[in-house]
Formats: sequence, structure tokens, C-alpha cells
Amino acid sequence: MKPDLLFFIRRFILFILLVIITDQLIGFTLQKVYFSQRKGQFAQVTYAVDSTRQDILVFGSSRAVRHYVPGILSDSLKMSCYNTGRDGQQIPYYTAVLEATLKRYTPKMILLDVNSWELARGEGKYEKLSVLLPYCRNHPELRSYVEQGGKWEKLKLWSRTYPYNSSLFILAYNSLFAYKLPAEDNGYSPLTGEMTEAMFADHKRTMEKSKESENDNDPNIDEKALDYFRHFLSLTKQHHIKTYVIISPKILKEPINYRVRKLMEVAGEFGDVRFINFSENPAFNFQYRKFADVFHLNKEGSEEFTRVLVSKLK
Amino acid sequence: MLFNSLDFILFFILVTVTYFLLPHRYRWVLLLAASCYFYMAFVPVYILILGFTIVIDYFAGIYIEKSQGKKRKSYLVLSLIANIGVLVIFKYYNFLNDNLTYLLGDFHYKNPVPYLKILLPIGLSFHTFQAMSYTIEVYRGNQKAERHFGIYSLYVMFYPQLVAGPIERPQNILHQMHEKHQFEYARVVSGLQLMLWGFFKKLVVADRLSIYVNSVYAHPDLHNGSTVVIASLFFAVQIYCDFSGYSDIAIGCARIMGYDLMINFRRPYFSKSISEFWSRWHISLSTWFRDYLYIPLGGNRVPKARVYLNLTIVFMVSGIWHGANYTFIIWGLLHAFYTLSGMMLRPLREFLAAASRIPGKLLNLLSIFFTLALVTFAWIFFRAETVHDAFELIGNLKSFGARPFTGDGISNMAHCILAIVLLFIAEYKMEYIQERFNFFTHRSVVVRWTAALAMLFIIMLFGVFSGGQFIYFQF
Repeated sequence: MKPDLLFFIRRFILFILLVIITDQLIGFTLQKVYFSQRKGQFAQVTYAVDSTRQDILVFGSSRAVRHYVPGILSDSLKMSCYNTGRDGQQIPYYTAVLEATLKRYTPKMILLDVNSWELARGEGKYEKLSVLLPYCRNHPELRSYVEQGGKWEKLKLWSRTYPYNSSLFILAYNSLFAYKLPAEDNGYSPLTGEMTEAMFADHKRTMEKSKESENDNDPNIDEKALDYFRHFLSLTKQHHIKTYVIISPKILKEPINYRVRKLMEVAGEFGDVRFINFSENPAFNFQYRKFADVFHLNKEGSEEFTRVLVSKLK
Repeated sequence: MLFNSLDFILFFILVTVTYFLLPHRYRWVLLLAASCYFYMAFVPVYILILGFTIVIDYFAGIYIEKSQGKKRKSYLVLSLIANIGVLVIFKYYNFLNDNLTYLLGDFHYKNPVPYLKILLPIGLSFHTFQAMSYTIEVYRGNQKAERHFGIYSLYVMFYPQLVAGPIERPQNILHQMHEKHQFEYARVVSGLQLMLWGFFKKLVVADRLSIYVNSVYAHPDLHNGSTVVIASLFFAVQIYCDFSGYSDIAIGCARIMGYDLMINFRRPYFSKSISEFWSRWHISLSTWFRDYLYIPLGGNRVPKARVYLNLTIVFMVSGIWHGANYTFIIWGLLHAFYTLSGMMLRPLREFLAAASRIPGKLLNLLSIFFTLALVTFAWIFFRAETVHDAFELIGNLKSFGARPFTGDGISNMAHCILAIVLLFIAEYKMEYIQERFNFFTHRSVVVRWTAALAMLFIIMLFGVFSGGQFIYFQF
């Protein structure tokens, strides 16, 4: 063998060893910082995956985080409650968190907030499962979810640093400025302020031009997401958990479309699951003062919604 | 197969190790097979298009060399028609048909010509131009016709530069394909370092900025002037890092195996004029247009008015080369306008610079900013989906000063700013401080390895790994 090649191979092996050591060191440090967070989005996911013990759990996206008030649910139903919702996430994430939760305990009631866009095609919802990467070491049940993000995720998980990709700024901010982070109430983070008439009119105009309703009626749906939804409900059924699938209020009236019909169909496969739809509820449709933005109710709106919801859960 | 995927990393390791294990006489077979596999990983059937032009140009080269006079020219014309014909059919047919429909519609006629339901083959313009440069150079007598069909095929298909260049000249690369390449430690390390730099540009900078840019350009009607300015500046950096990152990976990859590809970018955003920008941006394409279009049109050796016309033609063709859309044509014409006005106003600029007594360094800085502003403005047309979108975005500039959109949370914006700062520091060092801070070539192994490790972990921590497509693949 040529001396140059031998030299290269020796150095290459040494370099790879250095990479592995550095990876372990950086990954270990970041893991410590990550799991020491007490406030902020990472702390909320950690609590949802590792520590919930409440009777009622709320699952969903940012709309769940902003719409379901655990205090009202607890007081009215005389059960403890936690909102595990997470901004930008969809059905695969809720299912993953539920699976991790069920390894620890069985809640009494589950409120699952869904939307028509859960069934829109696209890989985004699977790529976003990367937020669960830091938990894969201690929760092997989450690996199959995270691996949906791409065929090489399994290999990438060999690295201890990779799970913290793109999270350094949030980690640093949440560590240094924890006092600035808004207080949350058992996972619920209300939005303050209200929409103006001009904002509402603008949104109406945009939606009239957009192809959203056409898309919602497109039978070409994400079947994998529907399977996750079915899996979510089968898990709650197996564990005899009282389950409600809810579409929380929308600013514009949204008639039942193809995607929602599919969600209702699947929910119907599980006899004891109740589907509650607020998307055509006149108490909220067009009531822009109850909304903080086009997707989310504000604090007052969410409190009103939770009270109305409670009456349907009793 | 994308360079920024683990599939490619495994492919590259496998091919490179096998390459050095094989005796020289079999290496071209390996590289050709690897290149076919690489290309077929996108849309397999399109290898037939490549095969078609390869066969035509291979024989055209031999016949051009053998013939004299008119016959010689006719073989060249035949080869050019075949290459340009493929380009027209696959890239411009539907665009031309669209225009015909529009034109006939004005006279209330229905266009009878059917549309083709075809996907644009990856990197078509790149390998077609490389193939054309071969027959032209053989015709000009600068290159001997290649008799080895496998080597000629490899010249067109060499996988590192097959889908996005650099667009090589036969004089530079063809002879290298006959030479025996030994394993050289220094070359391999330098190639790996260049690849690492390319990955940094693509994963940490380009793909990060693209998140913001895509969200703004997808909804031109929703964003204010400040957002448009930020998104356009981000796009200027994104396209540079996307394309030059690809070139760096390609050049590094080839260098490891012993091949020297031409440099494609030389820190273009440090240019002090548009003409300088074009001597630093996509060099392999701009020199291609210079050698095979501008000079044959008469170059500089014609009356001034004709020079201006020639330049306009070159920039317009360059715009069309990028894509079948009026946005690219306007982008090309804008650059023609910049270049021509730069030439015409040069005496006035020099006079004003002298009269104002602005210190040289400040003047250079102002020139760099002004050039960057012009280039960025033109990128709006390049990036926008339609001309209407571009004008909508430009129209939104009147609300400059309003609070900009920060994207999907402040974290992504912080990543964007970090990426640009790191890029700027590195490029500034390469441009102005070449003698110092050369960590990757430092004599101390500790410094070299620390630099490499730092770069690797910056990519791991700040890179975007969702496999974003390279922008120039579509051309």
C-alpha cells in the first residue's frame, strides 16, 4: 500500500474517533441543558412526554395550546388537567406523545383537537417530529415516529449532538431569559389582544381568493396521517379512556368538508369516541373580537369556548 | 441523488474507494457507471436523452476532424442542432407554445399545437452546453476529437459536475480522463475540506435562508417592503451559497479523485461593478457565453453600438438559458441594462469620484454596496414565480420601514443571521486577508483538525437536514 494512503487511513480513523468523542461531549452537554429547562417550549414537551399524571389530557396543535383552559376543565369536571398541545404539530406528534404517556399511566379523559389540514398531503408534519429526537434515548417507542422524518433518521440517531440540531438559540434564550417567558397554566398559553374589523375583512378577502376549501374537499388525502389518527383512537380504546375528538371554533364558518368527513368516519369506527364540531358555531364564527388572530381565540374567547365545551363533556 | 443527502455521502465513499482500488485502465468504466447511476437516481429514462446527444456529438467530433471546408461546418451545425433541439423540446417547447396560444388568442384562434407532458431533465442546460463546447472546440482545432467512446461519454457525464456544472471545456478536462491519478494525501485532504465548505454553504446558509425566502415569495401579496428587502437580500445570499456550495462539493469531489475542475465563483458579492460581478459569478457559464456567443458576434472589435447590441443578446440568452419564463428574460435584460449603463457612464463616474474626493476605501465600499443592491434587485425577477409576482413584490417596497415578518419564530431568524455572519467572516478573510488565519492549511495539526471539527459541528448543530433541492438543478 502507498505510504500516502496508509498515512491517510491512520489519520482518517483518528479523526473519526475525535468526531465521535466530540459528538458525545457536545451531545451530553446539550442534553443536560435541554432537560434542565423549566420554562418554554422544550420544557413543555419534556413535561408532556415524561411527567404528566393528570386525569384529563388535551392533545393538539397551537389551537389546542390556545383554546383549552385546564383550570376551567379541572374545576368543572373535578379532575386534574394538562394541555400537551404543541405549536405547528399534527396527528403523528399527538400519537407519539400519547404512546409515551401510556407507558407511564392511563389518563381518564382525552380531548383531541383536530383540523382538516391534518390530512393535507406533505412531509412537513413528519419532519416536525424531529422535536422528539432528544427523547429517543429514553423512549424507544418514539423512534418509529421520528424515523418518519426521513430514511436516514435511524443512522442520524447514532449521533448524540444531532437531536439538538437547530435548537441552540432557543436553549440559550430559555436558559438566560427564563424570567421573560410568558407564564403558562398547565400547558395552556393564552393569546391576548383581539382582531380588528379590518384584519377580519382582510382575512375574509384572502380566504375568498384562496383554494383552501377546494383543498379541503380534495379526496387525495394523507392516508398515513389518517392511519395515525386511527392508531391514536385505538390506543385510547385499548386503555378504556373516554375520548373526545374536537374541532375548536373557527373565525369563518367552515362547513363539513371531505377531510373532516374522513376524520368523523374514522372516529365513528370507535363507538365510544365522541366527535364535537365547533367549526360552524355561531357563537364564534365571525366574532372576530373573540380571536387574537385568524387561527386562534384570545384569552376571553378560549375561556368562553372551554365553558361551552364543558357543558358538552358532562 | 442530491449532494446534501446521506445517499450521496455513501455513494461518494463507495465510488472513491473503489476508484483507488481499481487499476487505471478500468477506472473510466467505474466512473461512467457511477455517473449513470447518479443521473438515473433522478429520472432514469432521461439517460436516453443524454445517450442521444453523446452519440451524436461523439461522431460529430470525429467527422469534423476528418473533414474539410463546408462538410466540416455542416457536421458542426448538425451537432449544434441536435443539442439545441433537445434543449428546445424539453425546456422551451411548452413555453413557446404558451406564447403561441396567447398570440392566437388575440385573434380569436385556438392553438392547435398540443402541449407536451414532460418533466425537465435535471441539469439539461449544463451538460448540453458542455457537449456543445466539445464540438465547437474540435471544429476550431483547439481540441482533438476523442476516439474513446467511453471517455467521451465520461466527459459529458462525469458525475460531480453532471447536473449543475462547472461547465467544463474539453481542453481542461478531457486529457485528465486519460491520465493516471495516484492517491495524493494533500489533494484528498484539500478536496475534503472544500466539500466541507460546500456543505456549510448549502446546509447552514442556503437551506436556512430558503425557509424565510420561500415563505415570503410564496405570498407576494401578504408582505410589506421591509420583508421584501430582507427576503431579497436573503435570496441573494441563498442562491450564491446554494450554487457555489454545489460547485465547491463538485470541485472537491473531483479533486479527491485527481481531477481539477475550473473555479466557478470568486466571492461575487465583493464586486465593485456589474462587469466585475460577471467575472466572479458562475464563471464557467459567463466564459462559455464569452467564447461561444459574444466573440463570434464580434465581441469588442465592432462599433460601439454593435458591442452594446452583442452584450444585450448575450445577457438575454443567458436569461433564457436559466429557464423558460419571462422572469429570467427580464433578469437577463436588467443585467444588460446595468452593464451597458456602467460602460456608458464610466467617464462620468470617474469624474465624480475624482471631484468628490471620497477616499478610495470608502468609494470601494460604496461601489460594493451599490453593486449588491443592483444585483439583489434583479434577483427579485429571478426568484419570483411570475412577472406579476415580481412587480407585486416591488410595489410592496413602498411600505419599507414597516415591521418586517420574522418568519416561523425568532429562532429561524437568529439562525439566518448567524449563518450570514459566519459566511461573511469567512469570505472577507478569503478576499482580503489571504495570508493570515488559514486554519485549514495551518502547519499545526491541532489547529487544522480543530478547524475541521468546528466546521463539522457547526453544520451538525445549525444545518438544515431536510434535503433541500439545489436551485440550479432545474436549469
